[in-house]
Amino acid sequence: MSFRGNLLTVSDVRKAYGGVQAVNGASFSVREGTITGLIGPNGAGKSTMVNLISGAERAQSGSIHFANQDITRLPTHRIAHLGLVRTFQISRELQRLTVLENLLLAPQHQFGEKSWAALFARRRIQEEEQRHLRKALEMLDRFSLLPLKDEYAGNLSGGQKKLLDLARALMAEPKMLLLDEPMAGVNPTLTRSLQEHIAALNKEGMTFLLIEHNLSVVESICDHVVVMAEGRVLAEGKMDTLRDNEAVVSAYLGG
Amino acid sequence: MNGLLYYLLIAAVYFCIYCIYCWGINLQFGVAGILNFTFITFVAVGAYFAGVTALGAPDGGLSGQYILGWHLPFPIPPVLGGIAAAILAVLVGIVGLRRLRSDYLAIVTVSVGQIAWFIAGNNVHLFNGWDGISQVPQPWNSVFHLSFTNYGWVFLVICIVLAIIGYIVSQALYRSPYGRVLRAIRDDEDVAAALGKNVFAYKMSAFIIGSVFAGIGGALTVEFVGAFNPSGWTTPETFIIWAAMLIGGQGNNKGMILGAFVVPVVFNEITRFLPNIPGHPQLIDSFRGMAIGLLLILAVRFRPSGLLPERKTLFSLVPTVKGSEGDDRHVLQG
Repeated sequence: MSFRGNLLTVSDVRKAYGGVQAVNGASFSVREGTITGLIGPNGAGKSTMVNLISGAERAQSGSIHFANQDITRLPTHRIAHLGLVRTFQISRELQRLTVLENLLLAPQHQFGEKSWAALFARRRIQEEEQRHLRKALEMLDRFSLLPLKDEYAGNLSGGQKKLLDLARALMAEPKMLLLDEPMAGVNPTLTRSLQEHIAALNKEGMTFLLIEHNLSVVESICDHVVVMAEGRVLAEGKMDTLRDNEAVVSAYLGG
Repeated sequence: MNGLLYYLLIAAVYFCIYCIYCWGINLQFGVAGILNFTFITFVAVGAYFAGVTALGAPDGGLSGQYILGWHLPFPIPPVLGGIAAAILAVLVGIVGLRRLRSDYLAIVTVSVGQIAWFIAGNNVHLFNGWDGISQVPQPWNSVFHLSFTNYGWVFLVICIVLAIIGYIVSQALYRSPYGRVLRAIRDDEDVAAALGKNVFAYKMSAFIIGSVFAGIGGALTVEFVGAFNPSGWTTPETFIIWAAMLIGGQGNNKGMILGAFVVPVVFNEITRFLPNIPGHPQLIDSFRGMAIGLLLILAVRFRPSGLLPERKTLFSLVPTVKGSEGDDRHVLQG
């Protein structure tokens, strides 16, 4: 699957909060079919970058392209429609929806999500719901969450919520997943399990941009790694070569 | 006895109308998480517009001054009342819902309520100022020619029919994927947006539909009572509806029926029946508001999700025909 084009291209993007230049002319791209890692010390601008790419915030200059479309100024939901779906650093499950409902929410452009359809086209909605339900049950099975399908998502453990986040994002049938520190605060067993899921999904063709602090995870699953520091891209390449890069080492150690 | 029966009739009409209010505010807050602290203003807009479109042209006599005066037959005035409330909802929504924080809207609604109340009161040309509109004709009574008491039964039937429609609509919306998106926005709107839902459009639609419920309920009130003025829609009225929703169980349409019965009907209406305590003619009146406040505090402390809490939505696969099941598997594996 290698040597396909760039799915995501970030060009010279800037974003400041007052006097703080959080992202200061960052450029990088994510090639289709890869797991690209985005790493960097605290305050490097990774989280701001995630917010800019996903449309939660707007860049002050520069451009972001996804699947050959300019998404720099698009709102979050339009970016999701194009197939770029993000997860959140801290699990943000929809507490008073069941696990199954969390998944059923994700498919894009549902006919039954129109208010008038809810009143006048109930049969067609039911057919659609059954189709999504079948897929959601398979997804839950894949992530070992099937026994919890009717539990309120707010009652899951931290690790189960991480799996739910991933399963829910996949239900949207994205072209690319933007995972914001999926392993943060997760025990080693679950880290391994998440890692395996990500690798398996990648084999099936999914592209990932993975923001991650755990460098051994990054080393073992990422094809390509982008290092950010002080709002810029400091270096790019394979993790093992980056380990020997002096600028990278000093950014991490010196701060 | 006849008096009691008539009183119960009035209570039943109000019960139906409060059910409609509660489903409206439940869709806004209980389902979509929108803080509307001036629900009663949307009720009032519905009531005024239904009133002035049901009334004939002002003759400058006792009925005073007001706009329109189209003399339209039922059920057109309540429909127009609902539309008027919807238009106000769009205007308020454009200002208040674009910002992502829901407390921003809450402040906007409080301000809008105050502005609307003072405009309606001080501008005599719109809805006859503080005196309000009166002598609004009762639906179809020009056909029936019934006495006020007997006509009450006809009106109760109209209210029951509309309440049943209101319940069916509320349930259909709640149970649909549309309702699921609203509940997702209530829980975390950033997540809903990240999953491709247009949060502003959904909040706006829930705000509009809830306001239509308010407008229609207001229209029924004015067509029953025949009069409406600013003293009928003060801020405490909004909080009676809020209390009914919170005590009934936000997110549960059946809970709204219970809440509408317990708060506005039992505590607010039936308590008017309690005998006066000699020497303290205002005592029961004063205690009524305190009792509702106490009930609300107890509910929030001991049953925070209300008397009938929101229930889990469960799903089951409808078994498909054997052949198609096999086809499905094939497609999935291929």
